Amino acid sequence: MAVKVHVTSVIQKVVDGQREFDSDGATVGELLSNIDRQYPGFAQQIMAADGKLHRFVNIYLNDEDVRFLDGQETALSDGDTVSILPALAGGAR
Amino acid sequence: MPQIARALVEELIAHAREELPNECCGMVHGRDGAAVAVHRVTNVAASPYRYEMNPLQMMRLERARDESGETLFAIYHSHVASEARPSPTDVRMAFFPPGEIEREPMFPDTFYILVSLVSEPPSVRAFHVRTGGVVEEEPIAVIEA
Repeated sequence: MAVKVHVTSVIQKVVDGQREFDSDGATVGELLSNIDRQYPGFAQQIMAADGKLHRFVNIYLNDEDVRFLDGQETALSDGDTVSILPALAGGAR
Repeated sequence: MPQIARALVEELIAHAREELPNECCGMVHGRDGAAVAVHRVTNVAASPYRYEMNPLQMMRLERARDESGETLFAIYHSHVASEARPSPTDVRMAFFPPGEIEREPMFPDTFYILVSLVSEPPSVRAFHVRTGGVVEEEPIAVIEA
C-alpha cells in the first residue's frame, strides 16, 4: 500500500530532513520496517533495544492514534497518511 | 534575551489559570527574534503534575509555521504548585529519547517558558535546556505596548 508519511522534529533528522515522504506497507509495522530500509537508523531512533516502539513516539493513521486501532498490526490502504510524531511532555513531577 | 509583549505574557498566565487544577501547555510562535502569538495545545495528560502536548495539534502548528515563516519561539507549560523552573522531568523530556541528555536537545533554539501559579502575581520565566541537561535562565524582556 502506497502511503504518505509525515514526521516532525527529531524524527525528521533521520529521514534526510524531510517532513513528508512516500513509503509503503500492508501494516503499520511493515511500513516502519520499510522506512528503516529507506533510511537506515530510523528504527533505532523510534524503538527501544527490545524492538518495541518508544512510549513517547506517537503514530497516527490519518487522524487516529494507532494505539486505539490495532497498533503495529493496523492495516494500511493506498493513499493513507501515517504521522510519526515524538511526544512533547514534561511537568512538575 | 526573549522579548515578549505584555499582552502575550498575560495570555500565558490566563491559560495557566483556566487550565487549573491541571498544567497547561502550548507554543509561542516568533518572528525576527520576538514572540508574536500564543497557541494553546491540549494537555492530553490532563494532570496537575504532567503535560503531554496533543501531537497532531503540534504537527499542525509546525505546518502553519512552515507556511507563515514564523519560528518556534518557545514551548510553554505551567507548574501549578512549584516554581517557574524546569523540573527534572522537564529536562529529561527535552531530549529524545527522554533522558538522553548527552544528545542535542530536541529544540535547541527554542525557549522553555514556565508559568508558576505558586506566587501572586504568577511568575513567568524562560530557559534554554542544553546538552548535558544544563538549564540556563534567559531573562525575559517584557515589551510594554
